Amino acid sequence: MKSANLTSIRNIGVGLVALLATLPLLYAQRAQSSGRGGSASRSEPSRAPMQRSPVMVDRSTHGTIRHVDTHVVQRSGAVPHFDQHILVHHDVEVDVNRPRNWHGFVFGARRHGLWAGYSQLSVNGSPYYYDAGIYYQQMGSDYQAVYPPVGATITGLPDGAIAVDAGNLTYYYAGGAFYVQQDGGYVIVPTPIGVTVPELPPGAAQISINGSVAYQFNGVYYQPVFVNGVTQYMTFMA
Amino acid sequence: MKLLATQQPEPQMKPTTRMIPVTTHWCRQVFLISALVGLGTTVAPGADVTPPIDSQAEALLRRMSDYLAQAQFFSVNAEIWQDIQLGSGQQVQAGRTVALQMRRPNRFHAELRSTRHNRGLFYDGESITLLNRVQNFYGRIPAPATLDEAMDAASERFGIALPLEDIIVSDPYKSAMAKIISGIHLGPVTVLGVPCEHLAFSLGKVDWQIWLEQGARPVPRKIVITYKDEEGTPEYTAIFSNWDFQTKLPDFLFNFEPPTGATKISVAEIKSQNAAHQNWGK
Repeated sequence: MKSANLTSIRNIGVGLVALLATLPLLYAQRAQSSGRGGSASRSEPSRAPMQRSPVMVDRSTHGTIRHVDTHVVQRSGAVPHFDQHILVHHDVEVDVNRPRNWHGFVFGARRHGLWAGYSQLSVNGSPYYYDAGIYYQQMGSDYQAVYPPVGATITGLPDGAIAVDAGNLTYYYAGGAFYVQQDGGYVIVPTPIGVTVPELPPGAAQISINGSVAYQFNGVYYQPVFVNGVTQYMTFMA
Repeated sequence: MKLLATQQPEPQMKPTTRMIPVTTHWCRQVFLISALVGLGTTVAPGADVTPPIDSQAEALLRRMSDYLAQAQFFSVNAEIWQDIQLGSGQQVQAGRTVALQMRRPNRFHAELRSTRHNRGLFYDGESITLLNRVQNFYGRIPAPATLDEAMDAASERFGIALPLEDIIVSDPYKSAMAKIISGIHLGPVTVLGVPCEHLAFSLGKVDWQIWLEQGARPVPRKIVITYKDEEGTPEYTAIFSNWDFQTKLPDFLFNFEPPTGATKISVAEIKSQNAAHQNWGK
């Protein structure tokens, strides 16, 4: 009987030791899983479906398993906000036709009236009119398309704006303007120099600088360069 | 009878003998459950258990590899479809065609065409030239003396992946198996009317499927790459046609001559691009 009791106690002890040994592991697993999809995602429910990790993987265009880990575009930080108007700058060449209103921008083009839904802005005391990525100023009874004015603030990005990361900032590039998010809106900032964009501003004029081809838009130059094997345009000052 | 007799418990031991099995049973259960839970907890996440590669899948892949590796030159066309996620989250497909010519050990030429883009890629054993036929830009980078080395240099230094490099590499089997962790043979399937063998491999975060023509010429007829670690698990699909191992491929096909009016532009290195990233916005 004594022997049997000892066996019983020993068995209980072994079982408890094993149970205790697994508890931290169980706890760690639970904590890990809640960290992945628990409290963090609950606190920002609206961002969860489109949230990007700080390192953006972008390699599907290249179609290789030999270099499957090579084509990873390192992004400086998570894109802070995603909505249907923003495209991610993929650094790759894809053929999807996505015409936007601002693709039709022609500097100096005049129109007799404005569409419904335009916005009236004041930039450094000057009145501007904004409509779907294009800015206008009144010229008599007409409205003339002008370059995007630095300092203009809009509440929502133009459709098709392209997210471009540079340093610690994310710019949104549309119609030749670079926007940054500020105070719940988007403000036009001076064109950052050394940034690569996947397409030229609409109406950029081709010029030659020291025998090299370049493009000019609103005082800023764009130099074509192959990036990841496809043509992109880097901003520079002449 | 003797055995039964020895198993008869003594009357005064009855409560104890009844308790011992119950306690032992409970302890064993706790121990087993704890051990199993503990084992599961420690092994399941990120387990380093490599699933096997089906020997049939491996053999078929090796057969394809040997067939392509022994070919001194070949031409093939491919239609490429890839998933693109729009800003709205909607997934669409973009397509293009590739006409590829390859001669071992150091010649490669590809023309990539879509509705809005038209590009050429030339490798002549000394340099790789990119040609944007729409805007008439070209750029040239120095390249090592073999196609394998040139592919690696182009990819790692300039972010350029030569199209369909998984099948033009000198040893496709070795190149693929360096990444593959599991694989299965899914049996016969028809691709555009051609009887094929369907193989499915996993690289962990990426799945790779390949359909190999049945018979004496085990060439790929279709490849699908699924990027499971990217949002929307986008896929890259290549469908092959017009395999040609007969038509000779002379040097002029691989030597780049700038078209009339073409402008030379620079090719950004990945490192310098990253350095630019560091300086941007400061």
